Amino acid sequence: MRISEFINGHEVSSTETASILCDECRLNLCSEFFAQYASYMLACGATCIRISKNLRRMAAAVGLKVDMIILSHHVTVVCTNQADGMSCQHTKRIAPAGVSFAINTRLSELSWKVAGHKVDIEEAQSIFYRIIKHKKVSEWRIMWLVVAANASFCYLFGGDPGAMAIVAVATLAGYTIKLLTLMRHWDAKIIWLICSFISAIIAAGLTYLPITSTPDWAIAASVLYLIPGIPYINSISDCIDAHYLSAIGRFIHACALTVCIAIGLTAGLVLANIGITV
Amino acid sequence: MQIVTVLLLDMLFSGIAAYGFAAISHPPRRVLKFCALIAALGHVSRYCMINFLHWHLVAASLVGALVVGLLAIIIAPRLKCPPETFSYPSLLPMIPGIYAYRAVQALAMTLSTDGEEEFRHYFYLFESNGLITIFVVLAMVVGQMLPILIFPRISFSSTK
Repeated sequence: MRISEFINGHEVSSTETASILCDECRLNLCSEFFAQYASYMLACGATCIRISKNLRRMAAAVGLKVDMIILSHHVTVVCTNQADGMSCQHTKRIAPAGVSFAINTRLSELSWKVAGHKVDIEEAQSIFYRIIKHKKVSEWRIMWLVVAANASFCYLFGGDPGAMAIVAVATLAGYTIKLLTLMRHWDAKIIWLICSFISAIIAAGLTYLPITSTPDWAIAASVLYLIPGIPYINSISDCIDAHYLSAIGRFIHACALTVCIAIGLTAGLVLANIGITV
Repeated sequence: MQIVTVLLLDMLFSGIAAYGFAAISHPPRRVLKFCALIAALGHVSRYCMINFLHWHLVAASLVGALVVGLLAIIIAPRLKCPPETFSYPSLLPMIPGIYAYRAVQALAMTLSTDGEEEFRHYFYLFESNGLITIFVVLAMVVGQMLPILIFPRISFSSTK
């Protein structure tokens, strides 16, 4: 007896059925992997144009076409088999990972390996998991670099050594609070508001000491470590590449954090009774 | 001699600022010293344009960011990293923080004004400083983006 089935209204043999099911599984696997890949690339601070190019490069290597829809919290990837038009879509929540250019770099390298047929999709998936599980440098070690960087900012604005010292102390206090609250998974907006207030009030308070002749420069630089520079730059980059939804999402997120910094700074200035001096 | 010292100090501190802020974005370790170098060259070029050629801050920031973007495009394929890894942190020392601060400060002062004239004065300060901040940031971003858009092949195949 001939074993046959009807798929999409066409009678197909068992061998063909197995082949179609295998293609479906593969399409599903690729679509899920690409959605995960896009989710992590977005989280680690990649621009939409880079994510899109990386996905297309990998998809073309396995005979697929890929489209991506980016929303503020989710990314949807639609994969279409170029041979038979069969498509599959996966939606993933944007990974809760922070900005990491190391992950961005390694995931971009991975896309070239897939495109050059050096690894297949299953292998790429296991490399992907190794990359995202890679341990970051401790934030506490980075803190000292941030303190030095923010004090240097103060110099670039025209601050004197006294102002630089004030900025270093204010940054140290604010950044410590930031790390402690991040460890407790507080909301980012609350963290930004608290840290900006603490840095501003410490900087404003210390400017009453006779150690600096450029107090405004010290207060201005004290909160700059909180500026969400990467979302701002990425939003403009996405806008240039016509990824308007992502651009607006990133811009509003960055604006919300900036408003929190402004509120914290204003509260610090009001409490320390600092007026316009320039 | 004094000018050379000023320029060297400008390069040193912009390099330190870029190194520290690059570390926040967790780049590959080999990238950090190049971020500092690119930031130093970008910032000192802006400093020279403002102080020696008397360019406006916005135009000087655009050219400074262009220098950063071009250097990032040149170095990226050699270190097999996306150019953004270098250019984003290297831009940060050019952030017009003092203008942003003055805008926020003036906005805060509008809350404690007595009359219309005083309010208008602080609101004018808020608007003018805020606009300079926005235009400088836009110039910085566009400046560093231009080389990526002009040389897409180098930009997007640097990790190959």
